[in-house]
Amino acid sequence: MNSSFDLSVEFCGVKFPNPFMLSSSPVSNNAEMIQRAFEAGWGGVAYKTLVTDRIPIIHPSPRMHGYSYEGKHLVGLQNVEQTTDRGLKPNLADIAFLKMRWPKHIVMASIMGFSNPEWADLAKACTDAGADMLELNFSCPHMTVEGSGAKVGQVDHLVRKFTETVRGVTRLPLVAKMTPNISDINEPAIAAKMGGANGLSAINTVSGISEVGLDDWTPRPNVFGKGAPSGYSGPAVKPIGLRCVAQMAQNQKLGLPISGIGGIETWIDALEFMLLGASTVQVTTGIIHYGYRIVEDMIEGLSDYMREKGIKKVADLVGKALPKLHGTEEFDLRRQGIASYDLDRCCGCGQCRIVCQDAGGQAIDWDSKMRRPILDEDKCLSCMICSFVCPVNGLITFKEMPSRWKRRPTITLGTMP
Amino acid sequence: MGAQSPFEPMPKGFDLGQAIAEAGRCLLCHEAPCSKGCPALTDPGTFIRKLRLRNVTGAIRTVKHNNILGGACGILCPTARLCEKECCATGIDRPIRIGQIQRFLVEHAKAIGFRAFDPSHFRRPAPRTERIAVVGAGPAGIACAAELAKEGFSVTVFESRARAGGVLRYGVPPFRFGDDFLDSELEDLKDLEVEFRFSKAISNQGEAEKLLGKGFKAVFVGTGLWSAQRLRIGAASTPGVVSSVDFLSALREGKAMSFQKRFKNQPIAVIGGGSVAMDCARAAQRLGARDVYLVYRRSFGQMPAELDERIEALQDGIHFLVLNQPIEYITEAKNGLVGIRLARTRLLEPDASGRRSPREIPESEWTLEAKECIEAIGSQVGSEGSRAWPSLHLRKDRTIEIDDRGQTSAPGIFAGGDIARGPGLVVEAVRDGKTAARAVIDYLEK
Repeated sequence: MNSSFDLSVEFCGVKFPNPFMLSSSPVSNNAEMIQRAFEAGWGGVAYKTLVTDRIPIIHPSPRMHGYSYEGKHLVGLQNVEQTTDRGLKPNLADIAFLKMRWPKHIVMASIMGFSNPEWADLAKACTDAGADMLELNFSCPHMTVEGSGAKVGQVDHLVRKFTETVRGVTRLPLVAKMTPNISDINEPAIAAKMGGANGLSAINTVSGISEVGLDDWTPRPNVFGKGAPSGYSGPAVKPIGLRCVAQMAQNQKLGLPISGIGGIETWIDALEFMLLGASTVQVTTGIIHYGYRIVEDMIEGLSDYMREKGIKKVADLVGKALPKLHGTEEFDLRRQGIASYDLDRCCGCGQCRIVCQDAGGQAIDWDSKMRRPILDEDKCLSCMICSFVCPVNGLITFKEMPSRWKRRPTITLGTMP
Repeated sequence: MGAQSPFEPMPKGFDLGQAIAEAGRCLLCHEAPCSKGCPALTDPGTFIRKLRLRNVTGAIRTVKHNNILGGACGILCPTARLCEKECCATGIDRPIRIGQIQRFLVEHAKAIGFRAFDPSHFRRPAPRTERIAVVGAGPAGIACAAELAKEGFSVTVFESRARAGGVLRYGVPPFRFGDDFLDSELEDLKDLEVEFRFSKAISNQGEAEKLLGKGFKAVFVGTGLWSAQRLRIGAASTPGVVSSVDFLSALREGKAMSFQKRFKNQPIAVIGGGSVAMDCARAAQRLGARDVYLVYRRSFGQMPAELDERIEALQDGIHFLVLNQPIEYITEAKNGLVGIRLARTRLLEPDASGRRSPREIPESEWTLEAKECIEAIGSQVGSEGSRAWPSLHLRKDRTIEIDDRGQTSAPGIFAGGDIARGPGLVVEAVRDGKTAARAVIDYLEK
């Protein structure tokens, strides 16, 4: 793999060879796996969340359910997997091994205590094992251990307290992993900062129910007759992840570096997170779908993009789209446009006509003989739904209209008083 | 064909995942052009949309209600020049595999035990008192019977052979269209309470017309074309020479083994360039022939067989001897057929069929070694073929004259399929049967 391009980036004062990390999940379960991921090109790992051995962790079975859409597998993924079910010792040994064998790659140990002292114990143990940084798991939405995971992440004072506890026992950078299952992600993020966190990672999985069995009437995954709302991930949740990351990145009071997570499969997904404020990105579902090898395409794709745009450092991309992210109240409503058709490339399916009739401005007439749409520009709402269903890429584009142009009002069938 | 069949089962179709993925490629066109491309109005635009939206049973219902032989058509239709030719996805990359989806839906119906005419959800109108006779259990007759039965008529189908299907069973080799598939497709006729009278030929003088006086209010004739055209380049019956009609029928009548014995390690010739010739050549290959020569007097481009059929034959290893005109069968008293005299041809201007016509090249004759020969040059109405309907107006080729709704020259008698229109597609026979059924209903309501 040609990685002559320097993709290194600093996150919480730690230098990563590139911004691509395994997130804390089945893909970062042990050193043997992580070693192969490093060989494939991943720059760092959020090591599968460690717990003390006090409460044994048993994963429900089956522990995942894939959500398909029109034959496309893993548009989403639901899981009820817990924190690590390996003992603390083997995990610490694996962390030490990784740091010895891969000194330039970053091992961020994810931890979750089930009590205040446990947070301290785990933080100390991981520090001693040689981890580069710690990720505090405040966000798993489906812990079988009561009062843990996202239950903590939704309560600001607990987030602050446990962060403070960890802060008190280690000098390693602390990254608080945030849950999206909350109205304002900034509130617990501020609490984490007040507790001493150096950075944030988001999003953990979105609590969801991916499917319901039609014969057994059981939500999926069907764990011997029972289903549960649990972590939903993958491409379907990327927009939620982008929104959460951007909201934290824009928050002046926060000012912490962010590791972006949520449905990332390609360099483009990763770049979008970066442009909205993430310095590093983390991936699980993409790897569950395709394997570690996808990092080759992330590295190559991002490198070529940066070369083409003349961007020297990954850091120069971070947050570059934030100045253009506004509240809708700031839009300039005086400027209006319409859909514009390049009919030379039209294949004649007429889906534009159907959706414009049933969900748009009834702006499209249909030439049955030629099988071509005829747009009445003055009725076009510029909703652009026609372009979303058009199978020909780029045939329908948005075009601004002159300021004197006026859209014709919607017809009224009734008689107005 | 049983465990000893020399033929492999027909190729597998889509599974549910493949079918849904293929439906996912569909553009769900406004005024779906594919639906206009189906002669039998099977309406792919609707059944693919239903499948896409996971209304799988609804999709099955659409196929079977519109086309009682939807599965057969899905397999045998030359979709590339029918529904799939109209497909808008062609403008993007390749057409949706409509035939495959259609076949899938019929196979899936069986897999999940869904019957499109199950009385628990299919309400037939109140039974009608009129009884209708259908002569011939081929595609046209079956389609006509189903359409009438759906409307509450009681229909009796008279079939000269032991089993239903006509050309679907006795004119296509089993590796292209399996018995099991056909039998399961025809199950729907049981729900429609269509009565079959097998091994009951309607062939005596005036017998079809007389059905009108025997309690039947209307008669549909869909007997097909079962008399082979012959080359007439040898004695009336040259040993070792068989017609495609007899050959393909024999394969379904338990005689595959005897052909296997005759063909094994022998050079076999097949004469013709149509779909049936391809079927015969590919069957001969499977029966153990050493070499199968396909002899055709024009070139590859003029062959009436569909392109995919020609390619499949080539892939099977059939030797295409194009631009060769059979002149004479060479026989020996002791050995029967030993070869065929052929003359090379060249192509001149297009003839009435629009294809360039072949002309023999003088002194180009040569002998092709052939132990057996299958003539596959078309079928026609036999000399006795219209004895059962003596008063009907016929065309010069003895096919039955009908109007565009299947009405013959005699009130109460209707016809469709190959016996009325000459050689055509299965889906066209289905269309004829459906159209004639509507005409029968109008006739009875007059």
